[in-house]
Amino acid sequence: MSESKLEKVSSLVDNFRDSNTQNEALFEQLNSDNALSETWSRYHLIGDVLRDELPSEISLDLSAQIAQSIAEEPTVLAPRKSTLYRDIKAKIVQFSKPFGQVAIAASAAGLMILGVQQNVAQNDVIMPSQVAQTTPLAGFASPVSFNTQSNTRLSQKQAYIEQQKRFQALLSDHHQQIKFSVPRNIAPATLSTKKVEDSPK
Amino acid sequence: MKKLSFLLLLLSINFSAVAVETAPATPSKSDSKNTPPISATLWLERLSRALKEINFNTSFVVVKNNQAEPYHWFHGIDENDMELEIFATLNGPRRDILRKGSVISYIEPEVPPYSVYSEQISGPIPAIFSGDIASLASSYEFISVGRSRILGRVAQLIRIVAKEQDRFGYWLWLDQESGLLLKMAIISRKGQLLEQIQFTHLEITDKLVDTLQQLQVAELPSVIGDVTSYQDQELNWKVNWLPSGFKQVKSNRHRILATKQPVEFVLFSDGLVDVSVYVGTSRDKQRDVEYVMDGATLVLNQVNNGFEVSIVGKIPSATAKAIADSIRLK
Repeated sequence: MSESKLEKVSSLVDNFRDSNTQNEALFEQLNSDNALSETWSRYHLIGDVLRDELPSEISLDLSAQIAQSIAEEPTVLAPRKSTLYRDIKAKIVQFSKPFGQVAIAASAAGLMILGVQQNVAQNDVIMPSQVAQTTPLAGFASPVSFNTQSNTRLSQKQAYIEQQKRFQALLSDHHQQIKFSVPRNIAPATLSTKKVEDSPK
Repeated sequence: MKKLSFLLLLLSINFSAVAVETAPATPSKSDSKNTPPISATLWLERLSRALKEINFNTSFVVVKNNQAEPYHWFHGIDENDMELEIFATLNGPRRDILRKGSVISYIEPEVPPYSVYSEQISGPIPAIFSGDIASLASSYEFISVGRSRILGRVAQLIRIVAKEQDRFGYWLWLDQESGLLLKMAIISRKGQLLEQIQFTHLEITDKLVDTLQQLQVAELPSVIGDVTSYQDQELNWKVNWLPSGFKQVKSNRHRILATKQPVEFVLFSDGLVDVSVYVGTSRDKQRDVEYVMDGATLVLNQVNNGFEVSIVGKIPSATAKAIADSIRLK
């Protein structure tokens, strides 16, 4: 496709016309030439983006491409397990177990960790803010990876589970003790006899 | 990470919602023609009467930790002026609270059902709301803020704000018509929403609903013997600092149900907020202070020289730390 032709399409998109005869020819070409008509729609898309007039969804027609590549794919009747697949599976089993435990402990607890000071040396320096911190300090929420886990990480996870259990036990004991406490703040009998009307203006 | 960012998103959404609601907060005299403006204290007294005297049948969700717990709540007065009440969780294992007069039964998955004699239910709604709510005036201020629309009804927003910086604030949206609670939010001093209860349905009836009629004839689990006998045991340590207005409710030695760990325990309350203090021995020699939050409920835990100190309650972390640091041997 020549540069000049592209320029003509561009100026047409931008509403700059040279002369009618030239345009007629260009329209003809746009209709017949697939590549050129794609360029035409691409220019319009660029213009829309620049003017911030994009629709909420752009349908770049992927379905046609996908359908095509599916059609081209040879049919495999009995796929053999690749060695790669076996390896990954073994690792997933190994990994998912400790992680699963954490997930259970975390969901059972349903707590929001605010911040934990791990460093014994600095005992009273930081007061964790009440805001939920986006970066966990204790390192329990390590990103998922297939790397082998070091012992420290495992023990950290164990410590985390212990911690969750401890907090959960305290919480439920707190609620339990409140239930068992003797009546207090019982409304004086006078309160219930008051009428709504006795409100001052 | 993804969860956290979602949580933050949720929080910010909640915030913008709160901001919108409070925007038209300045009370306009013009739209209050039909009802004379009444003070915040009277609104709260009206709430406590409504919670005791009205037959209602309502649903609400407790929103905390990025989760919503739905509840059903029935309340009614029978022919003998006895209060009947049911709190029932709708998701997960059954966790019901039944009440017939002053017998309150707790049905929980962890322990066999039991009943206690009490005038107040320890549930998601603070018990003081149906009690002498005006008694909170020594440590809190009541501020009538303005009106908004909650649950499709006209609601009055009342803020219960602690006089000191050491407690959270409670925002209550009360129904203009009945005085009942329509929404509640626990807000930190920085204006952060920590926990909220949103009512999703409210029905006020003249007669008892079927569920409460069934409760009338139902037999409640047997009442646990006198719990007052072990209410006040002498402990050899004491808490030297508490926020103003907090008083000791009880102290005892018991084992924590889940871990079987023996602890010495004191419960404090300012009427609205309950704070538990636990002291026990630990296998660890030293462990630095850890905080966890369950909605607005903070749990502090630390080990110092083999002694484990824990604080649980709806208080800011700085307050909990100050309480923990003030514990001394007698």
